[in-house]
Amino acid sequence: MADPLHQFQIQKIVELPTVEVAGIPIDLSITNSVLAMMIGTGAVLLFFLFATARTAIIPGRMQVMAEGLFGLIDDLAESIIGDEGRHFFPFIFTLFLFILSLNLVGMTTYFTATSQLAVTAALAVLTIGTVIVVGFARNGLGFFKLFVPSGVPWWILPLIVVIEIVSFLMRPITLSLRLFGNMVGGHIVMKVFAGFVVALAGLGIGGVIGAVLPLLSVVALTALEFLVAYLQAFVFAVLTCVYLNDVVNLGHH
Amino acid sequence: MSAANDTLAMSPAAEPSDTAPVTTVATLDPVATAPADAHADTHESTEHAGGEAHAKGLPQFQTEHWAGQIVWLVIIFTILYIAIAKMFAPKLRGVISTRGSTISEDLANARAIRDEAEAQAKMSAEETAAAHAAARKLASDAKTKAAAESAKVQAEEDAKLNALIEDAETSIRASRDKAMAYVEDIATETASVLVEKLTGKAATKTALKAALSKA
Repeated sequence: MADPLHQFQIQKIVELPTVEVAGIPIDLSITNSVLAMMIGTGAVLLFFLFATARTAIIPGRMQVMAEGLFGLIDDLAESIIGDEGRHFFPFIFTLFLFILSLNLVGMTTYFTATSQLAVTAALAVLTIGTVIVVGFARNGLGFFKLFVPSGVPWWILPLIVVIEIVSFLMRPITLSLRLFGNMVGGHIVMKVFAGFVVALAGLGIGGVIGAVLPLLSVVALTALEFLVAYLQAFVFAVLTCVYLNDVVNLGHH
Repeated sequence: MSAANDTLAMSPAAEPSDTAPVTTVATLDPVATAPADAHADTHESTEHAGGEAHAKGLPQFQTEHWAGQIVWLVIIFTILYIAIAKMFAPKLRGVISTRGSTISEDLANARAIRDEAEAQAKMSAEETAAAHAAARKLASDAKTKAAAESAKVQAEEDAKLNALIEDAETSIRASRDKAMAYVEDIATETASVLVEKLTGKAATKTALKAALSKA
């Protein structure tokens, strides 16, 4: 059976020189992961270029789709963050489209960049970094009030503060591992079941009959994985909104 | 395949080892039958990639690939962010808000026009009602006037006719009285003649009169 982990192997497409920054070697080669990001982002850019080329009061098909995606995230940001959600909309929308496009590239055509821990971790750090920067920019040192919830008896406060700090530090980890785990797990399971189909069908007539079950499973799993691809992008966007709301409306709750 | 070969060349553990060849599709068959040399270059690279993954667990934990991916991710993400923040989001927000204002404007216009139409309809209904009332009044006036006139004419005519009838009746009465007077004379004469013929002697006037009044 094919190695189900082989699909996650980074391979170089275009060799580029390695640059060393602060003692860390950075291999700038375009790998399959980078190419997948380029394909996904390129598709998003092309889609929105066409969709917004001729914006009209009465929208065309593409414009309806673009406005649907726009409205989805805009409503999300506004319902969670409030009126200020509008300022953060581009970032949340970019995150959502980036992750969704990478997931879908992995589902349909090419490499799944979101199954790379480096990618999901970078996205999580980017998100939490934005939250921290926004938090300090808006509240100054008041940002630390995030770890001191109001209305808590003083004697329980030390414990609560420790828990809050730990939970804040866990956020980038859970953010990155959730997306990473979902994409890796889904693709491994699909690959394993697809491997069963091939292996069983190779055994002859009886095997072909036996292969029907894993084949149906693969079909069902593929549908499920498309759902997961969308859902994980949406969950990432929702959590980004929630984390941004914590620092934007600090002290309002 | 050259890309895979590059990976192979780069990695220090480039030995086409026999540690994990059994697991890849490419080697499923040849491992059993062909000699070790028959692992042609293409096979070898696939095999190696698989073997490497196995040796280190998930390929995602090969940290030598991390820095490049992260740098590229930041570049690509930034491009997408700028495109969305500067172009797509304002454009879409613009068209959506324009649509909202256009719709509300159109609705307001439609409402105003409807109100105007209703007012006009009300006015015209009032005008019609007024015209109806005026027409009814005019008709009834004309009718009463005509009735009064015709009654007057009728009365005049009646009076004239009554006078004529009165005249006629008086003249008839006069003629009848005259005739009746003649009848008495004739009766008296006839009676006297009859009496004379029957009796041979003339009757007295007083007797005749008494007889006649008895008859």
